[in-house]
Parts: sequence; structure tokens; C-alpha cells
Amino acid sequence: MSEPIVPNLLRDHLSDLAMNDARLDGRGQYEGREIKLETGILPRAEGSARVTMGNTIVLAGVKFQLMTPYPDRPNQGGLMCSCEVRPIAGRHWEAGPPSPESIELGRVVDRGIRESGCIDVDDLCIIPGEKAWQVILDLHAISDDGNLFDAFALAGIAALRSAIIPAEKFEVGEDSPLKVSKKPIMCSYHKVGGRFVYDASYKEELGGDERIHITLGDDDHVHSLQKGLKGIFTADEFADIMEHAKKRCAELRELIN
Amino acid sequence: MGGYGDVQMIDENGLRMDGRKPGDVRPITIETGVVPVADGSCRMVWGTNEAIVAVYGPMEAHPRKIQKQDRAVIDVAYNMAPFSTTDRIRPGFNRRSREISKVTKDALESVVLLELYPRSKIRVSIEIISAEAGTRCVGLTAASVALADAGIPMTDMVVSVASGKVNDVVVCDLNKEEDNYGEADLPMGILPNTGELVFLQMDGDLSPDEFKQAWDYNVDAAMQVHKLMVEALKGGANQ
Repeated sequence: MSEPIVPNLLRDHLSDLAMNDARLDGRGQYEGREIKLETGILPRAEGSARVTMGNTIVLAGVKFQLMTPYPDRPNQGGLMCSCEVRPIAGRHWEAGPPSPESIELGRVVDRGIRESGCIDVDDLCIIPGEKAWQVILDLHAISDDGNLFDAFALAGIAALRSAIIPAEKFEVGEDSPLKVSKKPIMCSYHKVGGRFVYDASYKEELGGDERIHITLGDDDHVHSLQKGLKGIFTADEFADIMEHAKKRCAELRELIN
Repeated sequence: MGGYGDVQMIDENGLRMDGRKPGDVRPITIETGVVPVADGSCRMVWGTNEAIVAVYGPMEAHPRKIQKQDRAVIDVAYNMAPFSTTDRIRPGFNRRSREISKVTKDALESVVLLELYPRSKIRVSIEIISAEAGTRCVGLTAASVALADAGIPMTDMVVSVASGKVNDVVVCDLNKEEDNYGEADLPMGILPNTGELVFLQMDGDLSPDEFKQAWDYNVDAAMQVHKLMVEALKGGANQ
């Protein structure tokens, strides 16, 4: 990502808005954009989802490969989560090797899904020590108007939950749905104009400071946290957004099958 | 070209595996404005191919060494998404996508009025979301629509179609099996208003008569596809 030039005018404007409890697009502090989730939209993927959040659009596709289990874990398959933000997604994303930003994105989403334990890696083993499934979740941004994190996390878990293991194609049994036992959901907050807002747009990200990503599983268990960018926050601020995340994650969980 | 003559891909009635006659094009849908943050964009579904193209610019050309003092440059990135094929593609550069990016750029630079935008860059990002056969044609055609959607002046839109040969029959717009096991593939980029060409590749084996037939199929198909492109752009303007 090229280093964006942040106009001071934008920062000042966002501060003024925050003082009046307002946002650029008229939303409330913790109000998210409208979300549309569609699954089964990629004909070549074994599981897929598209998430549209305002002008942010992302795709997630699940593919399977056969792997040899690692010698120290002969009874386990693998889960890999890979994220690519290519130049299609916005003028600030450039071609070339994966940027630190896109690597962070992929890793934070990966941790939320992995640590929730929603995929039982023991279940992915076909022949101990010889053959196991590797599940690969590829996240692909189409249009970045902010908060790719939440869009990727939602598309990712929805795609996994719609995935069919293509056992017949690999001649190792019958096709069956991938077992995904939980629904980890991410909520992201950006410090904009001195306060945290939920589901920041690209302009808010550009003129904002630090961000915090929270992934909660079923029963509000915390599965991953990440603080990104320069900035300082207090324990009280964190407690506030955690309270909101619990409510919001429960709502988003309802969108997923 | 696989050249497996024993794979039967044309039935006794002269129909192809997907029910098409030799000269038929797969079903196509075109939509514009699908990448809201871009200056122009297009989604083209062609058979089970799906390409999404975004155009950004004209914008400052950097690094500065790519700047041309008297005209704009077009920066084309063609990429197949990891989940776009039967077997997953490892993300990153490969020689095939580099070549397709280059020939697509060469085709588009032949129609865009580059001299209107000295020292600037127009970025064209082609993402293949689902691949069947002929993704370079779909990508180039969709890129033309996206450039038009971005309001970039062009002498004409490029329409790209590939014809080829299977079981010694010349067929238009090859599908996956025909591409894998066929005997020839002739993709062309045609300017529908003048009949001129800006893109041409070929591999395989065609007799002079077969070559003529494949050429004519491509030109006819391009005229059909062009109508859909114009419709999609007009629809977008009225929305």
C-alpha cells in the first residue's frame, strides 16, 4: 500500500463531527453499514461467500488439497488462510509482493477462525501419517471502502460453513460437508476524531488513528485481538467497545447458516 | 493444445458437448459499476467464466520512470484468483499472467487516446474470479467496457473472442474441454466499428480454409458481443 497523504482538513473535520456525535456518512458511533451475505457464488470453489458492506465488497473461496500430515501431528490435517488485496480493490492498493497490511489482515482473520476451534483438524485426517485434507481459505478484496477485516472474517466463516469436501474428485471416499462447529465473528473499531467508531469507512480509516479488532466465538468467548496502527487507548475505552462487540457479534452470527 | 483426437466433442448432429452449434457463443451477461470505489468497472460472466475489471485514473504515473512526456501509460494487471480453477492457483506472479497482462496492455493502448493525458497512468485491474476457457478474451473485453464506464476516450472498444478446432470441426468460443483437448485456438481482439484488429494469438494446427472459417466466426461473434457491451453501458448510464 502506498503511504497515503492524510489531509489535515479531513482530520479536523472528523474531530468536529466526533464532537457532535456525528459521522461522515450520518451513522451513529456504533452503527454498522448494511451487510449483504451471499454464499455458493463461486462455481470453481468448494465453498464460497461474498460480503457487501456499503461500498466494501470481498470474496472468500475455499479449496481443498491432499497433504501429508506433519510428522509430529500424524493425525491432523491443516487449515490455511491466505489474503490478497490486489490493485482492483482501490487506488491505494498497489501491485507487488503482499504488503504488511494485507499480511496482517490475513493473519488476524486466520487466528480468529483457527483459535475458535471451529474446525477439528483431527477430523481432516484420512490415513494417519499418510493423507489428510488441507483446507485453504482464500480471501480476495474487490472493493475497499474500509473495514476489510470484518468483511473478510464474515465471508471467511460463511464460506467455510458452506464448503463441501471434494472426496470423490480426489478418489478418497464420498463428498461431505466440511464440519464447522462454531461461528467466530470479528468486530473492528477505529479511533476517529478521538473516539472509537464501529465499521469505519475508508475515509475514517485514512483520517483516524489506531484500530482494534475483536473476534468473539459462540458464548462470547474471545478468540483473537489485535491492536493496529499508532495510538493509545484506555482500559475504559476497551471495555466499552467490548460491550458493543458482544451485542454486534450475536447479531452478525444470525446472518450465517 | 492437447490434440487428443479420440475425445469425441461433436455429436452425430454436429452439436457440441454443451449443446451449441459450431458458430454459437456461450451466454454472456455484462454489468457495470460493480466496483463502487473505482472510476470505472465491469463484471462479465461468459459461460462459467467470470471477470471483474476495475479502472483507476488517469492518475499520476509513478514510479516516475514509467512516465511518458507526451501520453499516458496503461498499467494492466491480469490475475486469476486462487479459487478460480479446479485446482487452486498459488497467488503471486507467473509467466502466463505476465504475458496476458502485456498483450492486453498492447491491445488497450492501441485504442485509448493516450495523448490526451501526458505523464499520467491508467490502471486496469483484471481479476478472473471463475475460469472456464478464454479468460484472456473475457478479461480484455471486460476491460474495454470498464474503460468506457470510466469515461476514458477510446477510438473503439476491443471485443475479444477465440475460435478453434475440435475433432476437425472449426468451432467458435471454445469451452473448457474444447480448449484442453482441441487442435487449435485462435483468440482475436477486434474493433467492431472498423473491423480492425489489435490483438492476435494462435496456437495449434489449422488449414488455410479452417483458418478463414475461425477468423470469420470470431468477427461475427465480436459483432454480437459488441451489442451486449453497448446495451450494458447504456443501461448503466440510465440508472
